[in-house]
Amino acid sequence: MEQMSDQDSPLRSRTDPAVVAMVGSDDIVEVTFELNGTATTLRCSVRWTLADMLREKARVTGTHLGCEHGVCGACTVIVDGEPVRSCVMLAVQVEGSSVRTIEGLCPSGELHPVQRAFHESHALQCGFCTPGFIMLSVGLLEREPDASEGRIRDVLSSNLCRCTGYRPILRAVRSAQREMSQ
Amino acid sequence: MKPPPFHYVRCSSAADAVALLSEGGEDAKLLAGGQSLVPLLNFRLARPSLLVDINHIEDLDYVREDEAELCIGALTRQATLERTSLRSCWDAIAEAVPLIGHYPTRFRGTVGGSIAHADPSAEIPVLCLGYGARLTLVGADNQRIVVADDFFLGPFMTLIEPSEILTDVCLTAPPLGASTAFEEFSERHGDFALVSVFAGMQLIDGVCSWVRIAAAGVGPTPVRAAAAEAALLGSRASDADLREAAAALASECSIRDDFHCSAKARSEIANELALRALTRARGKQVGVAGRRSEGLHQPSSESSAREDN
Amino acid sequence: MLAAEPKSVGRPVLRKEDNRLIKGLGCYVADVNRPDQVYARIVRSQVAHAKLLAVHLEEARARPGCVAAFAAADIPDIAQKKIPVRITPSRLDQFALQTPLAVDKVRYVGEPIAVVVATDPYVAEDVAEDVWAEMEELPPHLDPLSAGGSVLHEMVPDNIVGDIDTSNGEDVDGLFRNADVLLHQRFSIHRHSAAPMEPRGLVAEADPQTGRLVVWGPTKVKHFNKRVLASMLDLPDNRILLIEPDVGGGFGPRGEFYPEDFLIPWLALRLKRPVKWIEDRAENFVALNHSREHVIDLTIAAQSDGTLLGFRCTDWCSVGAYVRTTGLTVAKLVGLHLSGPYRWRGFSSKVIGVLTNKTPLGTYRGPGEVEATFVRERALDILAAKLGLDPTDIRRRNLIPAEALPYRVETGPRSETLEYGSGNYPAMFDRLLANAGYQELKDEQARRRELGEAVGIGVACFLDQGGIGPFEQARVVAEVDGTFTGYVGVASVGQGVQTALAQILADEIGVSVDRARILHHDTDSIEDGMGAYASRTTSVGGSALVLAARQLKDNARRAGAQRFGVAEHEVELRADEVWACDGRVVTFRALECEASARFETSAIDFSFGSVLATVSVDRGTGRVRVERYVGHYDVGRAVNPLIVRGQLEGGAAQGIGGILLEELAYDDRGQPLCTSFMDYMLPTMSEVPYIETAWSEFPSEDNLIGAKGAGEAGIIGSMAVIANAVADAVDPDRMVVTSTPLRADRVLGLLRASSSAPPHGISSTLDST
Repeated sequence: MEQMSDQDSPLRSRTDPAVVAMVGSDDIVEVTFELNGTATTLRCSVRWTLADMLREKARVTGTHLGCEHGVCGACTVIVDGEPVRSCVMLAVQVEGSSVRTIEGLCPSGELHPVQRAFHESHALQCGFCTPGFIMLSVGLLEREPDASEGRIRDVLSSNLCRCTGYRPILRAVRSAQREMSQ
Repeated sequence: MKPPPFHYVRCSSAADAVALLSEGGEDAKLLAGGQSLVPLLNFRLARPSLLVDINHIEDLDYVREDEAELCIGALTRQATLERTSLRSCWDAIAEAVPLIGHYPTRFRGTVGGSIAHADPSAEIPVLCLGYGARLTLVGADNQRIVVADDFFLGPFMTLIEPSEILTDVCLTAPPLGASTAFEEFSERHGDFALVSVFAGMQLIDGVCSWVRIAAAGVGPTPVRAAAAEAALLGSRASDADLREAAAALASECSIRDDFHCSAKARSEIANELALRALTRARGKQVGVAGRRSEGLHQPSSESSAREDN
Repeated sequence: MLAAEPKSVGRPVLRKEDNRLIKGLGCYVADVNRPDQVYARIVRSQVAHAKLLAVHLEEARARPGCVAAFAAADIPDIAQKKIPVRITPSRLDQFALQTPLAVDKVRYVGEPIAVVVATDPYVAEDVAEDVWAEMEELPPHLDPLSAGGSVLHEMVPDNIVGDIDTSNGEDVDGLFRNADVLLHQRFSIHRHSAAPMEPRGLVAEADPQTGRLVVWGPTKVKHFNKRVLASMLDLPDNRILLIEPDVGGGFGPRGEFYPEDFLIPWLALRLKRPVKWIEDRAENFVALNHSREHVIDLTIAAQSDGTLLGFRCTDWCSVGAYVRTTGLTVAKLVGLHLSGPYRWRGFSSKVIGVLTNKTPLGTYRGPGEVEATFVRERALDILAAKLGLDPTDIRRRNLIPAEALPYRVETGPRSETLEYGSGNYPAMFDRLLANAGYQELKDEQARRRELGEAVGIGVACFLDQGGIGPFEQARVVAEVDGTFTGYVGVASVGQGVQTALAQILADEIGVSVDRARILHHDTDSIEDGMGAYASRTTSVGGSALVLAARQLKDNARRAGAQRFGVAEHEVELRADEVWACDGRVVTFRALECEASARFETSAIDFSFGSVLATVSVDRGTGRVRVERYVGHYDVGRAVNPLIVRGQLEGGAAQGIGGILLEELAYDDRGQPLCTSFMDYMLPTMSEVPYIETAWSEFPSEDNLIGAKGAGEAGIIGSMAVIANAVADAVDPDRMVVTSTPLRADRVLGLLRASSSAPPHGISSTLDST
């Protein structure tokens, strides 16, 4: 793969975001964004995914990688209020955005209703898909607090679980919905 | 499954994007929603030298409806289109968009991205064919408009030149009073469709005066089913007429066996979906409520009844 | 059984495991980071069968960011480092074992040929791409039915690595001669992947202080793996510590010893730095053990009233390119489970392990049991249809009655005797049908068929085996804070071990469950253990814990009496306190009590299960929708009903996905066609119906808990029951479903063919006398 530009290229001079370093074949950039309510600046290669930046640079490892091709949803986080798959977003794409991960759901230690409902409904076994399902559910219920059961099933069909058979997850989200609407 | 190295640049206008594509050469690629491109990067099936991020281009995120057409900016997120209420002739859009990928991918995926990526099983290209879309392509020196019928050349291949960017999609409104429907079959929620069919129809005094049938999954590109349309136009759209049209579509099926589905089965499924889509479109014309294909959006009454606590 | 009045066993105690996991504070192996770590990536063969002439590492080593790159030639004595068989050896398996890197041949796409190490995982992938190999391609051998053809291992010239005969003594030939009816059918079952949500990984580090090699990531059979690793590295066992982190699902294949389980620790020692390796999903599809691929011929002899007489069976099991740690277990269990919960006068079966140029085979939830149940239950339905019997009637006629239990099944001179212990199979089957409302379902089916719908009802009965020994150990310690820690040698793959065993421990001592904790995480905490498989953690692990807790109480009694200066019989135990008659009291923790124990068993529990499913098949698209799925299982004793239900529902969902959606296929060059979740389709919430689950408890007499397995029961009948329901839907003559999976295009084909002559692939004969 040929290097596309050298230091003198007009392209390099107006590159945005600014490349702060080059390591081997990698352009290193700084990404400034809000992580779980806190302004954060992290450095990584432009080719790093959002998931890897969160896991390796921010060291919030609750966001899991199950497939790295956007199918399983274990990597779901909330960006600017929307649940998205962090394995198919580049880290640089959250510049200026607000990112919420599972770790940010209960900063004071008190469980979010969705978390509590997952526990009480036995909606997790190995727990690997759980943060992704919780963030997907939180995102949905925040946007559509009155979502019907059919709508919830449809949205929850976005993510994969290999352990539970799904019914407890649906029960948990419905139960959390009731609690959140009070 | 980590992407190979590339350079990355953000731009804020279509002209900027075009200039960067020109400079970048054949190996430069646009990054819009990324829901198709980033998986390809992760698999290392795509190895662009430069990614041009167009997500910050401002005036390409809109949906404008008027009597004659529905114009959509290329960067409009699929979720935005899903949320936009449109009049009933655009029913096929309301039926198709919720089937594109999954809820989280529609927040990122764009209308233009889906068209430009041209996955042969994608839904939006079928809508473009069904609604006679006109696509605006902006290049370094000029801007041109291409009709959907000419646009899709092969799997993942379109008329877009390496230094062009798709900016707008304008769908042509069907004749006043026409009805549309969209049917799709995939084995699992949210998957790439094995077959999808768009049907649009208008009956005036019981005679079919306008018909459009388009499909994906029956060939290397989405297709206008011209023979099927011809069979219906001018007919009374009886059950037999619909069956004949559906069969005409199925017989034009040129897809080969693949691991997921035999060609024979695909052709049968195309026949079935065409029949269902046409039947529902006709039903909307005569005021009969049609039943959507099962599976994807049926709230299950069983689950409420059997829920234990 | 348990000493005290149960306080938490039997109750749906919410899981102790959850708190960290719902907060995203789990520590899976990919979350383990060690200072100064480097990242390994395996370079894998892209060719199914070839002579490996050379592996070129020069470009890889020259890339900036590359720390090291190694091929077989760089690892001393690698040809002798063969990954051994842990269970179910076979005649020639020693000649078909895998070395951690390919030495002079590659035998499956995905086989490791080199390993590279770099400063970050992205660069590691760049470096891996720089490695290239010179190969001389050979024709692949892919079909287990053709034993000849291209030879994979020189010393196994016909590619048959072994076979196992199972026979019940009676004269099977005689039974066949005198039968009213003979039914012969060939079945083929496709390749599955367990596909846990978390891919594999390992982090290895040579601890600078102690010099011990520490490895994070192992699970399932840690103590065995430790011994294998020690042997391969020429280290004493006690120089290695394996630590089990949180695990994202096991289902059988995770935790066995794979090439990486040697390579990553070896790298850590060689490079004197921590080495982290995390598998990606594409690798997982070609590297993690596959399972379930068989071609099975079954011939059943019966009377015309449906009484079963005997059967003969041959199973060609596609073993893959190497024999892995679980040997021929999958094939052997087919042979042992074919007879199932029915009375047969005699049977004989032969299972044959055939090497093929595909990813090797391992055990996957309900190994062999799922497949045996499928072919037998399908055959019963076909037979029932031929004889004009309702499928439930032919089963009732032949289920082993309660009064015949315990029921012994001989399986041949070199094979074990099976003893089916407690239970009541016919009563449970009737309960299932009552729960499901069988007659109402039949009436509704008739109504819907009049409207042209293709709707089917299927049933299946099976036996699940669990509680395998030979032993587990446990150690219990009274902690200073008043809690009790139980150390066990089983493993957690997400199934709730920490909670269920804590309940057992708490009850045995007589304290509340929040005062008990279970640790199973590393090989230091307990001297030896067998691990987590074959539905044994609660029954066998729990029994060891009970013995250790009893020993703890004995120790406390003795120590307390000594402390008080009285005789042992003069003190009383109340929960975790020792009381003297005069009112003096001392706690277990003050006495610094601890105890160890070992529970041994050679028995295997067999528990009955039955399932019913209804499906509707879309005539236009072939889509199968599972409308109801009802199960009734004997779990022996449900220590924690929440956990038991979760296991049964999860197993059923996995089985439904397995037969309707999931399929691992290869092309005729041995290239795998499914290396992503886009091709290998796990079911979503939309494809899994509400799983109706009920159970009976016929306690096991072979362990101290009374539990039988629940981890696998949910999946064992799933392939059979869905197949039976689909067969009923597409053609009530019930001939047509003899192969899996039942993807939409296959079902469409079955629908089209059902009204005409038997389609290609069916060979069915029915002789009447």
